[in-house]
Amino acid sequence: MEAVEQLIYAGELSPLRDRMIAELADVNTLCATYRSRIYRYALLSLRDPDLAESVTQDCFLRAYKAREEFRGDCSVATWLTRIATNLIRDSTRSRKFQFWKTANSTAAEVGAMADRLRSPGLSPETFLMIREELHGVWDAVEKLPGKQRSVFLLRFVEEMELPEIATAMGLHVGTVKSHLHRALAAVRKAMEKAR
Amino acid sequence: MNTNHLSPWEQEEYVLGQRTPEMLRHLTECAGCRAAVARLEHGVAIFRSAAVEWSSECLATRPQQLNAARRGSPVLALRWAVAAVLPVLLLIFALVSFHPSSTRPVQRASDISDDALLEQVDQQLSVAVPASMESLTNLVTTESRNGSVATSARGSKHIVQTN
Repeated sequence: MEAVEQLIYAGELSPLRDRMIAELADVNTLCATYRSRIYRYALLSLRDPDLAESVTQDCFLRAYKAREEFRGDCSVATWLTRIATNLIRDSTRSRKFQFWKTANSTAAEVGAMADRLRSPGLSPETFLMIREELHGVWDAVEKLPGKQRSVFLLRFVEEMELPEIATAMGLHVGTVKSHLHRALAAVRKAMEKAR
Repeated sequence: MNTNHLSPWEQEEYVLGQRTPEMLRHLTECAGCRAAVARLEHGVAIFRSAAVEWSSECLATRPQQLNAARRGSPVLALRWAVAAVLPVLLLIFALVSFHPSSTRPVQRASDISDDALLEQVDQQLSVAVPASMESLTNLVTTESRNGSVATSARGSKHIVQTN
């Protein structure tokens, strides 16, 4: 990160930044490239397909509007993730009242998802075990505090590196690591309970 | 065999990709720790598979909406709206400013008609008396012709008393 900042001060990042701004200006390409990723992150954070869609669209809209403010000190994907994180946080704050609805629908979703993970070679016992484990992990992730959940999703679903997550979340790498450890501990606990 | 098993923290570090040579060495030797790490990795992996699957399905049911892009150029939309409305506004303004006589007489006529109407109402109010009181009105008007308004009032009182 420091190296990138030094490059910015040296003015050597300007062509890269210009290229990134050009990428942000082409909304069609931007959506085609990053839509599934941002939508997935929003969906797993909010557990509401409609709201996730709304957040995704707002994310691209904001990115487009603020493209001139983009300093180019991180990738476009990281910047979009940062915008999405803020939008998700705002949405969860305003929708706490409706949380029970999504919580109720989770059980059915997990059942359906576990069915899709079923492969022909699995014995019924193994499948049942996987299903229980998935249910446990799914619930555990849902119950994680906001930042822990976001960090967990970005690391293990989006497969982002820790410094990228730190930039996207506006946290220190050490804090990200700490959140990840706590999240993994919760997942481990849930899996042990499911066994 | 190394008997210092990996702590939960170390197992998590391994899953996070922060692997030290000591960890790796221990995992090659210790089946218990290997199983514990594999279990945690498996939990994360099934979550990821399910999450990606669910997201792909949800996304597949939605059209490739680019409302953000469409909404992304509100200035352009505003320009089109202004371009469409401006000639109409100019036309209306031109019609109004080049034919001033068409509006003014109407206004004057309405003013006159309003005044006339008000006057008529006043007259009606001052004149209109119930039919049963009409004879008294005649008496009052006769007296008021002879004296002042005050005397007419007194006269009307007198008339009422005599009745």
